[in-house]
Amino acid sequence: MRSALALGALSLTLSACVQTRQIADLQFTPPQGDYKLLVMRPDVTVGSVKAGGLTEPRADWTEAARANLVTALKAQQAGRGGQTMIMDRRDSIAGVSADTVAELERLHNAVGSSIALHKFAGYELPTKRGRGLDYTLGSDAVRLGQATGYDYALFMHAEDSFADSGRVAMQVLGIAGCFIGFCAPNIGGGGQSAYASLVDLRTGEVVWFNVVQAGTQVAGIKMGDLRKPEGAAQLVDRLLGRMKPGRDVRRAQAAAARNAPEKK
Amino acid sequence: MSELSRRAMLAGTGAALVAAPASARISPNSLKPLIGPGYRPTETDEKGLWQQMERVEEEVAGSNLLIRDPALNSYLQGLIGKVGGPAAKDMRIYLARVPEFNAMMFPTGFTVFFSGLLLRMRDEAQLAGVIAHESSHFLLRHQIRSWRDMKRKTNIFAGLAMAAGMAGGVTGTYTGDLVRLAELGTILTLFRYSRQLEAESDALGVKLIADAGYAPLSMSETWDQLITELEWSAKERRKRVDRGYSLFATHPAPRERLKDLAVSAQELTVPGRSYDRGRERYLKALAPIRASLFDDQVRLNDPGASQYIVETLARDGWNGTLLFYRGEVHRLREGIQNQQAAALNYAQAVTYPDAPADAWRWHGVMLMKQGRVAEGRTALSRYLTMAPSAPDAPFVRQMIQG
Repeated sequence: MRSALALGALSLTLSACVQTRQIADLQFTPPQGDYKLLVMRPDVTVGSVKAGGLTEPRADWTEAARANLVTALKAQQAGRGGQTMIMDRRDSIAGVSADTVAELERLHNAVGSSIALHKFAGYELPTKRGRGLDYTLGSDAVRLGQATGYDYALFMHAEDSFADSGRVAMQVLGIAGCFIGFCAPNIGGGGQSAYASLVDLRTGEVVWFNVVQAGTQVAGIKMGDLRKPEGAAQLVDRLLGRMKPGRDVRRAQAAAARNAPEKK
Repeated sequence: MSELSRRAMLAGTGAALVAAPASARISPNSLKPLIGPGYRPTETDEKGLWQQMERVEEEVAGSNLLIRDPALNSYLQGLIGKVGGPAAKDMRIYLARVPEFNAMMFPTGFTVFFSGLLLRMRDEAQLAGVIAHESSHFLLRHQIRSWRDMKRKTNIFAGLAMAAGMAGGVTGTYTGDLVRLAELGTILTLFRYSRQLEAESDALGVKLIADAGYAPLSMSETWDQLITELEWSAKERRKRVDRGYSLFATHPAPRERLKDLAVSAQELTVPGRSYDRGRERYLKALAPIRASLFDDQVRLNDPGASQYIVETLARDGWNGTLLFYRGEVHRLREGIQNQQAAALNYAQAVTYPDAPADAWRWHGVMLMKQGRVAEGRTALSRYLTMAPSAPDAPFVRQMIQG
């Protein structure tokens, strides 16, 4: 009985975790030096999880989170040496119509969900196995690059939710129930899910994609809070902090590192 | 918990579910719009809902499914102006090219109409009825009310399930069934509430069109048409008709709804007053897209429904367009009898001045098939005169020379 309880406690702590997984185009090298990055309007929703499990969107939290994310992104990109422009509306770049941006956003929506499904959710496509990221936004993205002079476009999506007090109480009850033989601790307590996708505007290819899942089964524990500047900075760091190069580039680097000592 | 009391409790709950009172008709005069012009949300949950819906509307407004004909869109917007009640100016309408009977109102006051709905309406009064029904959802703040109700019920249910489970844990009884029953009860009340909302919208809707001078009975006619269409469709497919209207259907039992609407219409009809149907206006506004609506419907391969729609529209008189599409419905079905019926319909269609070019083509093809080559060639030549740049024109020219 005691070991069962201990196991339960262990699984509770383990079930609260942050996962990130990035996938890059095989020949991808993270942008460095003097590059120009266009950040598309970040798609952010923050809601409150009610006792019964429904998530209710909150306008004020969403707005705070969006503002925090934009600030965090600016700070993070400034540290990399690139020039960054963050769009807050669809018509915020001169010379490109809101419709064009909308079209590209929708196209990316379809491509991005396809990447999420076939690269992250386990439904692997046999034709794309071992080929890194083999997805493109095509000529629309290239045209955007030509019209604006930007090298990359970054698409970002973030959802966050927090358990309200009723939900937390429900969970406390559920865990308390374990002691009398009816155990319902895993009712979920909100959490974060976000992705970022980098598109090379010279070729139209999606060159890098990263997903962050920060969920907790324990209601009330926050794995980074987008409503606060620190939480937003944490998410930006988890999403974009350590961009890995693609497989071919990594292999070439490893080979170079192996060969280098022999030459000496 | 003893076996006896547990059974009694289950039976009691069951009885409460079965003996739910039959939905009584809501009197149209008992309802008042809950919002005035320029309404904006003030409470947290509603603000959140609105913010999300603004994004949804942005997507809807840019969708390539929309039919963008400016004249038709301003006609629809004008109709909302007539029957939208106090919030008429705050509502937006989007017409999507989807060949089905459906319309939906979003919490922020924009509504999406499917083009299949326009195909089925016999006149402006019927369309105004559907618009008034959707407007009533907005005027009565149904979306936020139903969201709050759902939230309350799922919260209660989560509590109930937990309490039941824990009670079971303590006494060592298995309570799975009880929990499941409670869950079913929760779902049922969710839908019953939703039926209640639909009935409210019907009642306020019929009042709005009556006030605007449209025949109040047109709304119950629309429902009669929809129900009968489903019956024809089911019969043709050899399926049960009540499939869509099971226990969990979100709309009131359709026959009941139709009856309630008819009674309300009677109540609101002022004797001696003349009511508008606006058929001419409606057909004129719809003219630019009507053929494409028929094409979309016929391609659904739902011959029972398509045939019913044609016959319903023909209650106001047959013409070349309706006969041609009745021919199309037959042609796309199997069997020699259907082919003969198609030929007959095309032959009748071309006797009307409004017969589309395609009617002449198919009339010609059918004549050729029957061996009446000379007549067939004449019909096909007529087709080429009417549609000289049709994609199949070279092929038809060859048939004539053949």
